[in-house]
Amino acid sequence: MAQKVSAQPETNPHATVDALTAAKLRLQSLLPDMDPGDLDLILTSLQRPFGSGRRFFLREVRPGVRVF
Amino acid sequence: MSASSDESFVLEVLAALEQTKLEALVVGSVAAVLQGSPVTTQDLDLLVRDTPSNRQKIGQLGHCLGARPREVSSLTNVLRIDAASAPVDLLFDRLPGGLSFESLRSRSIVIDLGGRIARVASLEDVILSKEAAGRPKDHAQLPILRDTLRVKKALAKP
Repeated sequence: MAQKVSAQPETNPHATVDALTAAKLRLQSLLPDMDPGDLDLILTSLQRPFGSGRRFFLREVRPGVRVF
Repeated sequence: MSASSDESFVLEVLAALEQTKLEALVVGSVAAVLQGSPVTTQDLDLLVRDTPSNRQKIGQLGHCLGARPREVSSLTNVLRIDAASAPVDLLFDRLPGGLSFESLRSRSIVIDLGGRIARVASLEDVILSKEAAGRPKDHAQLPILRDTLRVKKALAKP
């Protein structure tokens, strides 16, 4: 059975920051081998709702040169 | 907050899938992006259930996206629609790793993207398919995809 999730934006920015900080502290203890920079990057990406302006397609403008 | 052209393009593809009623799953890196992975890609991959009816709908999908589907190479059965924002690659029935359309669909995730519904391969399956594909560009993404999955699982723990 497929799971259903929503990508609706978070409505309370303060709650988001608090939740992110708490989640990061908890995750650092649960995943001590994970690079803190990677953990930051992943948490930020997970918190970013669809429709917030994220770019993810790279385009090749000429051989060997790719841009967003 | 406004959508990027990349996000708008994903919505355009989802609208075209809805309009044509093509049976397809979003797979590959865009499936990973839609589940929060911090990765980039050059195309949007769709896995299509290979039936005569779906084959007919592919032409309509191309029409919706403004380009005629074409073969990528004589070595594969992948079709590509060269849409304006990014290529859309159509794969059929199976992904590397012995992942069938039906098995992927049974584990897929339905994401509501502000009214447009995306049915995407689970992050576990995206990782399995990239492990099996074995290309350098797939292997390069695996560490961050695995870490994203670990973080999601850790977050889900009470």
